[in-house]
Amino acid sequence: MAEAGGVADAVAGGETFAASSASSRERHAGAAAQTRPKPRVRQRFCSLANDTESGPAIALAMQRRALLRSAAALCGTALGCSAREAPAGRVSVPFWFTYGGRNRATLETLVARFNQAQTDVWVRAIFQGDYYEGLAKLRTALAAGAAPPLSHVVGEVVPYLAAAGVLEPLDEYPGARSLPLHPALGQAGSFIGGAERPLVIVPFNRSTPIAYVNQQHYDGPAPASWSELQGVARALTRAGRFGFGCPIDWWYWAALVGQAGGEIVEPDGNVSLGGAAGVAALELWQRMVGAGTMKQPPGRDYNAWEQLSQDFLAGRVSMIWSSTAFVRYLEETADFPVRALPLPHGQRGAVPTGGTHFVVLKSAARELKQAAWRFVRYLTGADAAAFWSRETGYLPVTTDAARALEAVGFYAQHPNYRVALDQLEVARPWPWSKGLFRVQRELVQPRLEAALLEQLDAARVLSDARQLAREAAL
Amino acid sequence: MLAALCVFFVYPALSALHTSFYDWDLLTPPRFVGFDNYRAIFGSGELLASLGTTLLISAVVVAGSSLLGLALALAVHRPGRLAAAARSAVFSAYVVSWVSVGLLFLWIFDADAGIVNRALGGLGLAPVKWLTSTRVAPFTVALIVIWKVTGYAMVVFLSGLAALPPEVQEAAALDGAGPLSRLRHVTLPLLRPTAAFVGTTSLIASFQLFDVVRLLTQGGPVRSTTVLVYAIYEQLFRDLRVGRASALVVVFFVSLASLTWLKRRLFREEEPA
Repeated sequence: MAEAGGVADAVAGGETFAASSASSRERHAGAAAQTRPKPRVRQRFCSLANDTESGPAIALAMQRRALLRSAAALCGTALGCSAREAPAGRVSVPFWFTYGGRNRATLETLVARFNQAQTDVWVRAIFQGDYYEGLAKLRTALAAGAAPPLSHVVGEVVPYLAAAGVLEPLDEYPGARSLPLHPALGQAGSFIGGAERPLVIVPFNRSTPIAYVNQQHYDGPAPASWSELQGVARALTRAGRFGFGCPIDWWYWAALVGQAGGEIVEPDGNVSLGGAAGVAALELWQRMVGAGTMKQPPGRDYNAWEQLSQDFLAGRVSMIWSSTAFVRYLEETADFPVRALPLPHGQRGAVPTGGTHFVVLKSAARELKQAAWRFVRYLTGADAAAFWSRETGYLPVTTDAARALEAVGFYAQHPNYRVALDQLEVARPWPWSKGLFRVQRELVQPRLEAALLEQLDAARVLSDARQLAREAAL
Repeated sequence: MLAALCVFFVYPALSALHTSFYDWDLLTPPRFVGFDNYRAIFGSGELLASLGTTLLISAVVVAGSSLLGLALALAVHRPGRLAAAARSAVFSAYVVSWVSVGLLFLWIFDADAGIVNRALGGLGLAPVKWLTSTRVAPFTVALIVIWKVTGYAMVVFLSGLAALPPEVQEAAALDGAGPLSRLRHVTLPLLRPTAAFVGTTSLIASFQLFDVVRLLTQGGPVRSTTVLVYAIYEQLFRDLRVGRASALVVVFFVSLASLTWLKRRLFREEEPA
């Protein structure tokens, strides 16, 4: 979830990606892309010394810990020099974030508003690259015992972090269990069995995949099924133009798996990768790419997302699947009317959710964690959540925020923003699986690319991935 | 000095060796697994694949930069402003940062908007998937590295040419040897030590390749440009497998040490008896 979303987001935001590949991966939106219209190309403590560990393991952990702490302290000092110091008397809360471009600017606006709105807490927002770069830094800082009190992470990695014991349980924090979150976007709705577990996440930039269409090329109804999607793609394809485009990415594959009636991880924990549904999803892409009606954007992760946005904006692809996080970016950048559409149904309607969730790190001092929580509460307030959604395209994570946007006629004026919100009715929760992150990054994502580029047998590709998941006991 | 050497080089190297015997994700306690990490990287084919990719790119880079560097050195080894300007121009690429080079070629080799494919289109030729074909991408990466390091090779060859004793050339000329004959039978044999130096330094440079891959292909498509250093990066920062990354580091260290040994041996062979 997060992943996808993240990426999207990142990208969406136009953030990262843009210019450099690497960065672009922010899946979450963000970043790069949104920032400014891009030239149409043509032109992301632990428990190291756990009592149960063996002596050498403890020694190893301690050595590393000392070294990592030193490194983290150096980094922290360097970062601190560039960040604004907290006014005297306030609790300074470092917040590591991974939004770029327009999303970053929007977040920093909200941070400034929070800092001005009260006199007890001073949040220092520190940019840490894209989702994955930020996660790598966060893990290193956790190992060094130097993690910030607050950050945000992609959803797929949440069960892993929770199992590692690094996330602060939030249930006892004031108002934590009564936030008016959209049912599909909080921990309870985002994860199967999420409500029965200790609360460790609070959503902020959340998204779903949606379709964007160049209205100059297509003004008909949203394709309601896979066969209609293929038909529309075929009808829109011209010389030098693809009717449809979709990043060969886990997030969109997960959408198709859900639509085909499958689950990536079964309720008993078995990594099935959707079984026949997973194969059907991959084969759909293979058919469309093979027929020349679907553009498979080059590059990996968010690079591919960004590339596809550029193809769309340049008129080289008529309809694309991307994150709702790109709504504003695409609307503002395109020189043609852009219409957002819901994804088609297969055997059922299904979309994954993406983006990131706020996490409070257990290793931080109690005072810092409490101060961080105040900031999280602020951001989930109706005004802040509505502002964030309106400025970026991400979903309003609370029902209050959605109502506020509705009340001022925002959705009437900007119907594209509403597509993802309505689509939450068919949002599928992610499995609470510790190995979900590895399944995504190591097993599925690379194989999707190979299956498409090398036209490999879809059933064989996913069977191999399932075998590896069993061997790794994911 | 010795302390700095130990802190920044010896300790990290020994730490990597130690860590390579553990399963560690930075978050949960390290678990001793013996040689499992080595078995995993060999057994999955990942090591051999990335080593193969590294060697392929390295071979193209060494051959290309050496030959081109030599040709350019021979062409500009003469007095005059034009030759001096040419030397500066060719060498200038070497001082450009790898990140800049990566971004530059990202545009140059863009499938749709890149100047190369647009030029090919203007000539009526089909566009080439420079960065998106598993067969072409490794050579595209190699080409970029050649462009970057040839200036260095040229300068080394120039210094080699300058060090050649002129009397040998003169003697050969007096014996009736023409320019091509002097090049083949006198100049090139005398440049062998220089060529060995250029070759080994180019080889080591291409083994350390990362920036361009990170920027242009992220190791793809389908791992076709996943060189050894990038594979280490992926294991550590993408897959959270510190132990496996460390095992790759150890293999990488042994590879580089072997190359260095080879280089020393080549030079020793070139030394006069």
